[in-house]
Amino acid sequence: MIEPNLTASEDLQGQRYWRSLDEYSNSPELLDKIAQEFPEYNPDELLGMSRRKFMKLAGASMALAGLSLTGCRRWPKEKVVAHNTRPEGTLPGVPEMYASMTQRGGVAHGVFVTSFDGRPINVGGNPLHPIVGDPEKYASGELKMGAADAFTIASILDMYDPDRSRSVVKYSGGDRKRSSWDEFAGAVSGLKADSKIAVLSEANSGPTFADVKKGFLKHFPQATWTTWEPLHRDAEIEGSMRAFGQPMRGQYDVSKAMILASFDSNFLGDHAAAAKHARGWAKNRLSCDEGKMSRVYAVGPALNQTSSNADVHMQVKPSTVAAMLEQLAIEIGVEGLDSTISLGEAETVFIEKLAKDLKEHQGESLVVVGSGQPATVHALAWSINYKLGNLGKTVSMTQEPAVEDGLCVESMSQLVEQMNAGDVDTLLILGGNPVFDAPADLDFAGALGKVGNKIHLSLYENETSIACDWHLNEAHYLECWGDGRAWDGTICLQQPLIEPLFNGKSAIEVLAMIGHDDATEGYDLVRRSLSSSLKAGKYDVATSSWPGAPVGNPAEKAWRSLVHDGVLLGSSFPLRAAKPVGASGTNISIATSEMQLAFRQDSKAYDGRYANNGWLQEIPELITKITWDNPAWISVDDALEHDLQNGDVIKIEADLGNGVQGELDCAVMITPGQAPGVVVLTLGQGRTYGGRIATGVGFNTYQVRGSQGQGTVYAASIKKTGQTHPLATTAIHHLIDTSKLGPDALSGGKDRDGTGAMAAWALDKRVGKKPGDEGMLIKQTSLKDYKKYLEKLEKNPHAKSFANDDAHGDVSLQLYDAPLADEFAERAEMLKKRAEEMVANGELDAELVEGWEPAEQFNDKHAWGMTVDLTACMGCSACVIACQSENNIPIVGKDQVIMSREMHWGRVDTYFRGKPEATRNFKVNKDDSDVVDAVHLPVSCLHCENAPCEQVCPVAATVHDTEGLNTMVYNRCIGTRYCSNNCPYKVRRFNYFDYHSKLDSDSFRNSGGPGGISNNPWLKMPDQQPGDVIDQIRRMVFNPDVTVRMRGVMEKCTYCTQRIQRAKIEAKARWAENKTAAEALPAGPEKTKRLAELDDYPYVQDGDIVTACAAACATGAITFGNLNDPKSKVAQLQNKNKRAYKLLEELNARPRTQHMGLVRNPVKA
Amino acid sequence: MLSEDTTDLWARQFHVTDQEQSNAKFVFPRWANYLLPLILLGAMGGAVYVPAVVGLGLNPNTLNQNYQPKQPIPYSHELHVGQLGLDCTYCHTSVNQAGFAAVPPVETCITCHNPAEGSGVKKLSPKLEPLHRVYLPYLDRDSGYPTADAGSEDRPNPSNPDQGKPIEWIKVHDIADYAYFNHAAHVTKGVSCVSCHGRVDRMGEEGVYQVENLSMGWCLECHRAPEKHLRPPSEVTNLSWTPLDDPEVIEAIKNGDMKEGDVDAAQLLVGLRVKEQYNVHNAAYMQACSTCHR
Repeated sequence: MIEPNLTASEDLQGQRYWRSLDEYSNSPELLDKIAQEFPEYNPDELLGMSRRKFMKLAGASMALAGLSLTGCRRWPKEKVVAHNTRPEGTLPGVPEMYASMTQRGGVAHGVFVTSFDGRPINVGGNPLHPIVGDPEKYASGELKMGAADAFTIASILDMYDPDRSRSVVKYSGGDRKRSSWDEFAGAVSGLKADSKIAVLSEANSGPTFADVKKGFLKHFPQATWTTWEPLHRDAEIEGSMRAFGQPMRGQYDVSKAMILASFDSNFLGDHAAAAKHARGWAKNRLSCDEGKMSRVYAVGPALNQTSSNADVHMQVKPSTVAAMLEQLAIEIGVEGLDSTISLGEAETVFIEKLAKDLKEHQGESLVVVGSGQPATVHALAWSINYKLGNLGKTVSMTQEPAVEDGLCVESMSQLVEQMNAGDVDTLLILGGNPVFDAPADLDFAGALGKVGNKIHLSLYENETSIACDWHLNEAHYLECWGDGRAWDGTICLQQPLIEPLFNGKSAIEVLAMIGHDDATEGYDLVRRSLSSSLKAGKYDVATSSWPGAPVGNPAEKAWRSLVHDGVLLGSSFPLRAAKPVGASGTNISIATSEMQLAFRQDSKAYDGRYANNGWLQEIPELITKITWDNPAWISVDDALEHDLQNGDVIKIEADLGNGVQGELDCAVMITPGQAPGVVVLTLGQGRTYGGRIATGVGFNTYQVRGSQGQGTVYAASIKKTGQTHPLATTAIHHLIDTSKLGPDALSGGKDRDGTGAMAAWALDKRVGKKPGDEGMLIKQTSLKDYKKYLEKLEKNPHAKSFANDDAHGDVSLQLYDAPLADEFAERAEMLKKRAEEMVANGELDAELVEGWEPAEQFNDKHAWGMTVDLTACMGCSACVIACQSENNIPIVGKDQVIMSREMHWGRVDTYFRGKPEATRNFKVNKDDSDVVDAVHLPVSCLHCENAPCEQVCPVAATVHDTEGLNTMVYNRCIGTRYCSNNCPYKVRRFNYFDYHSKLDSDSFRNSGGPGGISNNPWLKMPDQQPGDVIDQIRRMVFNPDVTVRMRGVMEKCTYCTQRIQRAKIEAKARWAENKTAAEALPAGPEKTKRLAELDDYPYVQDGDIVTACAAACATGAITFGNLNDPKSKVAQLQNKNKRAYKLLEELNARPRTQHMGLVRNPVKA
Repeated sequence: MLSEDTTDLWARQFHVTDQEQSNAKFVFPRWANYLLPLILLGAMGGAVYVPAVVGLGLNPNTLNQNYQPKQPIPYSHELHVGQLGLDCTYCHTSVNQAGFAAVPPVETCITCHNPAEGSGVKKLSPKLEPLHRVYLPYLDRDSGYPTADAGSEDRPNPSNPDQGKPIEWIKVHDIADYAYFNHAAHVTKGVSCVSCHGRVDRMGEEGVYQVENLSMGWCLECHRAPEKHLRPPSEVTNLSWTPLDDPEVIEAIKNGDMKEGDVDAAQLLVGLRVKEQYNVHNAAYMQACSTCHR
């Protein structure tokens, strides 16, 4: 581990971009790591070897190569298993898409699931869903796929998790016995109607769930019902009750807001409607090309997805957030507040500027408070929004259905009281893991011991299951019928794509079974409950139909279209008029000098439910780039004060309420830009009984989350323990080594010995020479400067760069460019001529062709290209997971991540600039340099036309195809890794092992050895052919269109070549079929006409191919298409948008993926 | 030619001066006498080893040519296609639309061989037993063989656990997992079934066998010069088609532009025409790695 030197010399600091504190301080260890292409590899062993020994080994391996018969093995005999009766309309081997939904925290997210021969392999967003998609844009063809966040995409892995619970289990006296549904049914059939049953359920917004629940409570009139979600919205709901007198839910329309203020909220990231917010946000960001742009203010304890993308952000303690909001309320004139808030200088400036902007944008602004803040703060925000005239414009109010069973913490406390008092005979826990995540001061586990009969339904056997008498195995959402309501209330349908793999049942089925419902199948339950929404008559369970409902019946039709669409459009909650009843202060003292704790959802485990999901565990977190862990985030100042380095373990002590004291030992991660005096903790890791992946990862932060401090703890203390914990962060991986690119690079990099000239040059280039300069990697400017540049362009069309004209003027292109082959030039000519002809024929808009150039090289009929827009990218990493799912990318485990061996084809680098200890990105006065800001830069293979990797491959395993793809041929690769060494963007990944076949849990997590890391992780790898070892269940998730790579080969982004090929083959095969049919016609005008229609080559139309990353992106930051088609969006962006630039353009690698510069809308000092 | 400086350097490196060089007398050590026979032996061994490895590697056996596994039902293409004249696409329906040329479901066979119908063809043949077993709900308790009084699909019979199960055919043409082949892309553009699968219409009850070696070199042969193999797409399932049947060729022969019976010239004429008509890609495109590998 590299220890950052936080006291780096002054001259190395300034306006430059850095990814980690190590890079900021330019620590020698880091420079050493950059110098090593493959870290942790010890060349001394090889260099110290005598020539003789080397020859002996080389000769021996050559001789033995023939004997090992590696080349002569027959692959296993395969079977073709045809259908017995092929379902109508299916073609074997052709993937199908189905709409469904998944529910998290009682909110339904629409999904589009790809199923291959009856096996779901890929989850994306449903474009018809009003939150993750947009029904209008889908209808107009603008939107092909809805957005999907990392949790949704990765949820498919849960279904094929070999650790999933596979049967009903009976626990008795520490004994674990496999049981069956029949046995369970027998056991609960004896439950008397007057027995004291308590049900503890996860939030479920489905009409069917409510329906079955009603029946259940009717059957058991004594029963009580509690809803518990660890990531509840109690404060938010209570806040709306305070403000409006009744619980209400705000539906934000971010696309209408030009000024957005986030108070400790992450409405772009962890909000249930984040996808819709993100789309609205992106709309007002991308309008920078038209010269106008929204402005986002964010204040909170640490950088998050919203604040790291904000124009003005500031990090303060959670208590100060409340005070700042109160000050804001006073400034914009909310009545009923006393003006006694005293804020610091920067806070005051922030609020002044925000208040000014808000007042200028009444009715088109929005103030949002996060769920971590107490109810009083939420209530005040509603008053502010009301005062600004935003209610009904940028935010509309609807009912809040989540309060039916009371607020989560309150009803949970009541339940525990009942359990302790012996008022509960039978406790039925539907999903969730309360033993792990209930408020720590309530001692839920202790109360559970006092209940006689405990039943737990869950996808996994977890901490709660082993404390119960019965564990019931739940069906995954892709295995069962169900429904739910989206954030705006739209009814969504959950249809199964596969029979339950392990005979699990859904929550509604279990409820119906115990509650003696006359229907027991999920399908019947759902159809019965939806009959009123679909205006159908009484549902008959026996015949599974609405009486008198033949296929043509409108109700039946409505049902079928609901199954098809996955959503019932028009069923959203009706909007309600709302007026706050009066404002009052937040009653939060900011004078507290004690450490505060802020709880957040974990980017991997959510609340703990996804902890056994390897894809999520290995995804680098947005700001810290942490994988396989959840360290406590701590500010630079606090780290210096307590003498902490990354990975040092601290003891956190907090008052949990009810007189209970909680403590937690947790490693720390020093986070740039964080406010001093607050520790940020994410929930859900540190599982003790969670499966092979989850168990032992991270720290259980629920231990210090009491019922009084669910969002924020205002009084806590931290203490260094002296222990350390290894952290796997990718912030120091794949650093782009610009130090070898200096003017004297040809001298063999002599600079490393310490003359410093070249290092300084490289730093300049990487990060910009002086404040305001752009670096080679990120181009960033303000809206004002961008507009100025666009004006300048009109006078001088050769102005080079949108941010700074002469920043790179002195650099000559560094890679040799072979002269263009004649065929490329000819073809470019031909393509231009064709476009002109089309304009002449009126088939193409002249405006599109003007300024458009076809690709220079590899310009077959299609020439693929991509743009990644930094102005729209939020850094959420959904693209990384989507790629992992589409392209069969393995996870490697913590040890291997520490060795820089993660396999993600795409990565999102977060660059900071400024000082890590600073807590804001705006200047209080002109000379202020105490600022820090963050930028997210997604990078995957850029498909360079002049690709450096191809030039060094000794076996031509990576070469270009005729359409500009930099292809990677796995069966030809011999694993020299020269290509990766020569790649300036560091996007190639090498399979050191057969990662897919790893089954041993220890090889994923840290284990043994000093510091928790095994010394020789590779010794534990089962090193065999994937086919023999990959778990039979887990291999079902593979995409059959993509090769599963084995050890020893290089891999990287292919632009989803399988999707490109599918679209091309489809278009061409249809065309050829039509042509054959036309040829068969008798000679005549009809034949001539039809043949003439088919004269042109069948191009793939723009939008027909959506790469996995682009499909997942909520903001549309990724555009993919044909550069040779003037109509395509990507061609227009690359040729005409002034923000388009090539990463490290100086190298002359000529990447096909271009990035679009970042424009922000900062405030003036 | 080494420059003087370099020679000097060379000499200094090895501390050998001209003087020393001329005075030293080199004598081969005694063991060197054994070197010659060893080298000879090695050369002889190599002369056997190299051809053996190359020969074995390229042996049709290694490439699985003529591979003919035993199938669960001795289905005869010779009978159905060769004699009765069924078209390939009658059963392999998806060949024009999908990458995978679907093997027909049990249903398709049952359209003729329905044991429940009086007119069911060969309905009592024991060769069809595996087919009927997965189709019929009722088994004859004495013979264990399906009876004619079948029930319906909606009434599965617990006494027949195999009902509804698929038939597991053995894959004959199995290319490596890292290579992708798409039937529709080939068939719609005039690559005939016979080009890869041979005369399936002459393969009898012993089963289909692999005619070509399906190696990458074999694929590329056609990808480099498709005109040698293309035919009008309307003729792809006509396994006995020859280019001499083409109207344009007949015309050319009649006009004397082509020699009678010159199959190669006729194929070239047809192939180039189809290539042009169907916009078949150039050789560079067809040999690009991403065409088959992904």
